[in-house]
Amino acid sequence: MRRRYRTDKINYSIFLLAFLLATLLSPLLASQAYANEPLPKGIIKLNGKIAPPLILNDMDEKRFDLTKSRGHWVFVHFWATWCGPCRREMPTIQSMSEKFGNNPQKTAPEIVLINTAESEDTVFNFLGIVAPDLNSLLDTDGLVTEVWQPRGLPATFFVSPDGKLRYLALGDRDWNHAEYIKFLESLK
Amino acid sequence: MKFTPSLLLILALVTSTSLVAAELYTPKYEDNEIMLRIVERTPENISAFYQGREFEKKAIDEILNTCYFTVIVKNKTQTTLWLELDNWQFSRGQKLISRIKRDYWKKRWDTINLIQAHRSTFGWTLMPESRDLRADEGVGGSIVIPKQTEPFTVVANFHTKPDKSGPIKTVTIQGAKCVEDIEPIK
Repeated sequence: MRRRYRTDKINYSIFLLAFLLATLLSPLLASQAYANEPLPKGIIKLNGKIAPPLILNDMDEKRFDLTKSRGHWVFVHFWATWCGPCRREMPTIQSMSEKFGNNPQKTAPEIVLINTAESEDTVFNFLGIVAPDLNSLLDTDGLVTEVWQPRGLPATFFVSPDGKLRYLALGDRDWNHAEYIKFLESLK
Repeated sequence: MKFTPSLLLILALVTSTSLVAAELYTPKYEDNEIMLRIVERTPENISAFYQGREFEKKAIDEILNTCYFTVIVKNKTQTTLWLELDNWQFSRGQKLISRIKRDYWKKRWDTINLIQAHRSTFGWTLMPESRDLRADEGVGGSIVIPKQTEPFTVVANFHTKPDKSGPIKTVTIQGAKCVEDIEPIK
């Protein structure tokens, strides 16, 4: 009888400990959702170095400074209108952005587009047709892109809340696809 | 599709190439490890593309003084394939052809005072000099050599595995050409 009471007590203690650990670690586990499972196709892990400077004006001449975005994830996307895969991918970024925007329950990274070395007119005309709800930073001389050195265009970096380069999306994809939405939702 | 690079020429030139596409030769090699394709560009294709990007005529003329073609590579393995243009060889018969590298363009652009934005755009249209291609990743971009009047051979050597310790993969493409504009049929 006493032995059984003792076993129950141990089991209860283990349960309590597991419950406490799960409660305490759940936010951490959520942010590490992809720590132990394969990343979606075309997403690679980076070494976590501090993101290069990113200070540019957008199409409304509003200044953006990446250092002001600490505390949340940032989706930093380099593109150009002449790049075929960029043209294909841009509408999917708009759809993905709408999906998150329409559902306030879903947290999402801040979307920052950077056009590489094109004129404001070119960017305005293109986005006006392809993704009218998106704005883009204008790297008019291409020098910020040179500093970031994407592997090619398009390229998307994921900057973590502490300002570090954590992931890179190689080339283009449908950001509206379930596996990428799941990945974006895991970035908390 | 994971073609990261300056695939601009591939799509942006689709319209301008449509009239001559049937006549242009696009040499291709493919096996279960790699796909490599050369897309020849006529002066008309090249002019149309860069005019569309608002390049000055003198800059376009500089490009037209060379043999400029697009190469697309896709790594079909599940390991790393190393794109290193210095390991590629261009030849005509027994004669080696030196590739025109990025430092040449810097000098030419300095000479004609090409604006930074156009230097940047041009740079992104070129094939990267050196890059690892991850599993299933593709890359595309243009390669430039001096003009050739005869077909030439491209031998592309790729180191394999992340630390380059794997066997070297070699692809040979024969009969590539520097094409001229095709005269309209009268």
